[in-house]
Amino acid sequence: MSDQANTVPGPSNMPVAVWGRTRRPAKGFSLYGATFSLPLLVWQLLFFVAPLLFLIALSFWSVRNFRLQPDLDVASWLYVYRSGLFWETYLRTLAMAGFAAMLASALAFPCAYAIAFKLAEASRRWAIFLMVIPFFTSYLVRVYSWQVFLSDHGIINAALGSIGLGPYTMLNTLFGTMIGYLTLTFPLVVLLQLFSLMFVDRTLIEAAHNMGAGRLRAVFAVVIPSARVGLVIAALFCFILTFGDFVSPLYLGGGNPPTLSIMITDTTKSGQQWPRAAVIALTMIATLLATAFAAVGYAYRGRGR
Amino acid sequence: MSELNRNPLIDWLLRLYVLASFAFIFAPIAASFVFSLNEDRFPSLPLGGFSTQWYEAVATDPLVWEGLSNTLTIGVIVSLVATALGFGAAYTDYRYRFFGKTVYLALALLPPTIPVIILGLAMLAFLSRVGLSGQSLSVIVAHVVMTAPFAMAIIRLRLSQMDPDLEAAAWNLGASEWAAMRHVILPFARPAILAALFITMAVSFDEFAVAWFVSGLNETLPVRVLGFLQGQVSPRINAIGTFVFLTSMTLVILAQLVLMRRPKEGNPDG
Amino acid sequence: MTDSRRDTSIDLVTTRRSFVKGATVLGMGSLATPFIGRRAFAAPTELTMLAWYGHAEPDMVAEFEEEHNVRFKPKYYTGGDNMMALISQSPPGTYDLILSDAEYVQMLNAAGYIEPLDPDDYSFDDFFPELQHFPGHWFDDQLFSVLTRFGFLGVAYNTKALTEKEASTYRVYWDEKLRGKVGHFDWHLPNLGQMSLLAGNPAPYDIDEAAWEKVQELAMTLRPNVGGFFDYGGTFSSLENGQMLAMAGIGDWITGVLERNGAPVRTVIPEEGGLQFTESFSIGRGTQKADLAKKWIQYITSPRGQVKSALMEAYPCMIPSRKGWELLAEVAPEEARRQGMLAGASNNPIELIRSGRITFRQLPVQQSVEDWNDFWSRYKGA
Repeated sequence: MSDQANTVPGPSNMPVAVWGRTRRPAKGFSLYGATFSLPLLVWQLLFFVAPLLFLIALSFWSVRNFRLQPDLDVASWLYVYRSGLFWETYLRTLAMAGFAAMLASALAFPCAYAIAFKLAEASRRWAIFLMVIPFFTSYLVRVYSWQVFLSDHGIINAALGSIGLGPYTMLNTLFGTMIGYLTLTFPLVVLLQLFSLMFVDRTLIEAAHNMGAGRLRAVFAVVIPSARVGLVIAALFCFILTFGDFVSPLYLGGGNPPTLSIMITDTTKSGQQWPRAAVIALTMIATLLATAFAAVGYAYRGRGR
Repeated sequence: MSELNRNPLIDWLLRLYVLASFAFIFAPIAASFVFSLNEDRFPSLPLGGFSTQWYEAVATDPLVWEGLSNTLTIGVIVSLVATALGFGAAYTDYRYRFFGKTVYLALALLPPTIPVIILGLAMLAFLSRVGLSGQSLSVIVAHVVMTAPFAMAIIRLRLSQMDPDLEAAAWNLGASEWAAMRHVILPFARPAILAALFITMAVSFDEFAVAWFVSGLNETLPVRVLGFLQGQVSPRINAIGTFVFLTSMTLVILAQLVLMRRPKEGNPDG
Repeated sequence: MTDSRRDTSIDLVTTRRSFVKGATVLGMGSLATPFIGRRAFAAPTELTMLAWYGHAEPDMVAEFEEEHNVRFKPKYYTGGDNMMALISQSPPGTYDLILSDAEYVQMLNAAGYIEPLDPDDYSFDDFFPELQHFPGHWFDDQLFSVLTRFGFLGVAYNTKALTEKEASTYRVYWDEKLRGKVGHFDWHLPNLGQMSLLAGNPAPYDIDEAAWEKVQELAMTLRPNVGGFFDYGGTFSSLENGQMLAMAGIGDWITGVLERNGAPVRTVIPEEGGLQFTESFSIGRGTQKADLAKKWIQYITSPRGQVKSALMEAYPCMIPSRKGWELLAEVAPEEARRQGMLAGASNNPIELIRSGRITFRQLPVQQSVEDWNDFWSRYKGA
């Protein structure tokens, strides 16, 4: 069953010149194509588009007597978009998520690279499995655990103190938030990068070496371009997850400074102002969607898919 | 691998870096394990005495067991459905070009971009209007929506590494589309499918914000954990965390042993 | 599902006598193993409760469940606003009992999510007179919610870092040595109420525009000293691990738990006065089990139930029933003393209320909730 897979080395980075599209049997509607494409479409139409439409409708509702009333009122949009605080928070959140994506990508790359190229088959498999494990322990619980490391009298400061350093304030700062973001995204970023790196054609790297390229040069000239899709997708996922995360900025950042996700919660405390929260959410969705398309477009550019 | 071993020092540094990465990943999990066996309700240094009281508290809480069985059932169903849907979407994106594909992709990838608190409310509003709120089914529906994109991304990534001529070659050799799917695409995508199953299940296991809204009185374990954490800050969360960790560890090791016993099944990537 | 529930509740009414008898016999033995003991009866009625964490845990409900062959199905919320939103989008009657703070009773009532109650059903006569007619629970002389617990908010502080004398004024938040060590419980009402008290407003929530401006200016000067904004769980841990040495907007409901577990934190009611919050039960509109819900409220406001309320494992509160105090002094004198619920105690909460040092937390009167919350958001972002 897996014989074919074994015989195929998968030259994924080859420019697709011989592209057998003309031979494909499907033209127009086919049962085969529909079997794969329709289920997701139907599911999302049924269970996702409706809530999304509700969200859009909600942003035009009004609140009377602490009760949500269907309405066609643009007040919430005007209110949020005229708020300087909103834009300030928006830009800050954007910067934080962007920074987290770069940080996680940069920190994850050597790890993914080493697992892909420096570990034997068996240890690589173990490494992958170990990387999956943290997903199964609650993110919330892990973030709470970090508090014990990061607090002023915590493990790290105690260790630093014993060699005469610190104490440093790490909890309730941007640093704390970033640790939390990495807790959330680092394993996923490593895995996604790894999936790409494992299929970089080794003969290409060898060729680069044979042509006298140094190690770093080979990485930047061959490995990274070949694994571009995975690297970009990994960074994108990191951006998406951190942009909307409220656990880390709240429990490790002390809500100090607030991000958009915290702002959403805050907004609802104005006596059920969910319409305004919906405006913020829709703005976040639009931002993430634009980012996602830009990133995916960039990732697949020139690959011919 | 060995042919790339140019500089042993750098190789060792890289291996050390991998170890450091794992230390970062497992540090909070290990701490949580230690605190789960600590008698103090509020974990702090220095540690208090050894105690298994939090495990007992968890074990005798019927709502935890109810939550756990809910979570497991939901997680398994979600991972199967989401991975199937995600595979279909990934394959569609890989193979077809059609009018409205951008919209299709947007629909497939949009859900994780929605802040969970507001998605929870929107989901509840919709599901209660169609009579689907407050059940395990509601959580399944919501979690599939949320996790299918992860499955799709992982599988799509794998498909993009496949030689595009491969499927066509199978057709040319007389295989039907279905046969090519079964003998070429599926085996090739298998590691990604496995990964997608794991990750979607894990995301469902861990999701509490949307589940809080839509599950109503049929709470899942993460929602219960949120209660412990918010109202209680009790080491019970660490006990639960450790339990789940040990379970997943065991599953992983079992999976490893099974894989190793069937060397023929090995894929190029493991 | 609802039908079958109704059937069992009818069944319950007709045979309650035998249940009570059985329950008394099983009483003590089944308390130890409440979940096995309960199986001795057929199909317990399910009663749903929407509450803060802890209110439907065994230490609170096991006895009542036993006596009435009821099984509580709790839904714990982590914020009043999520709770409101949950109700607004759930089918009516999903939640039989709703526990909330007085501010949300006001919102729940305004939105029409709770049933009016008959005051004669409840033993208000047992309550201290000051607490028989708590304003936030009555609207136009109609009762909507029954007070079961209350507490005070003051200055929560780390006893190793500050003396009680130092902490006895809200001005301590500005202390140089607390730079970055003052935390806020992240909700505008209690924090801005404290600011308003410090600004010298005798009715902190009923202030005119000029006074409101002053409160905002005063608050802003504190911002550089603030180390973070915390929700329920975050407040616990940051006080406990010493990350925050003083916390605004909370009281003994948090520090009491920490104190019970050996952390050096306490709450003091400062000279400018403290705030009072309440927890009370309402009956959800559309419930099929109003009668049973009523029985629960009667139980939890009875002396037995009041003692349980004062000792609730999740977090402590004070209780409004004089008879509850009497029983508490017998059963748990230590806790009665700690919380001052003894006739002659120096920290007797009723005396504090009588002396005028306590005002109750409520929604702002002359401004809208939005104004207050908007400022709070600006304050956080500053």
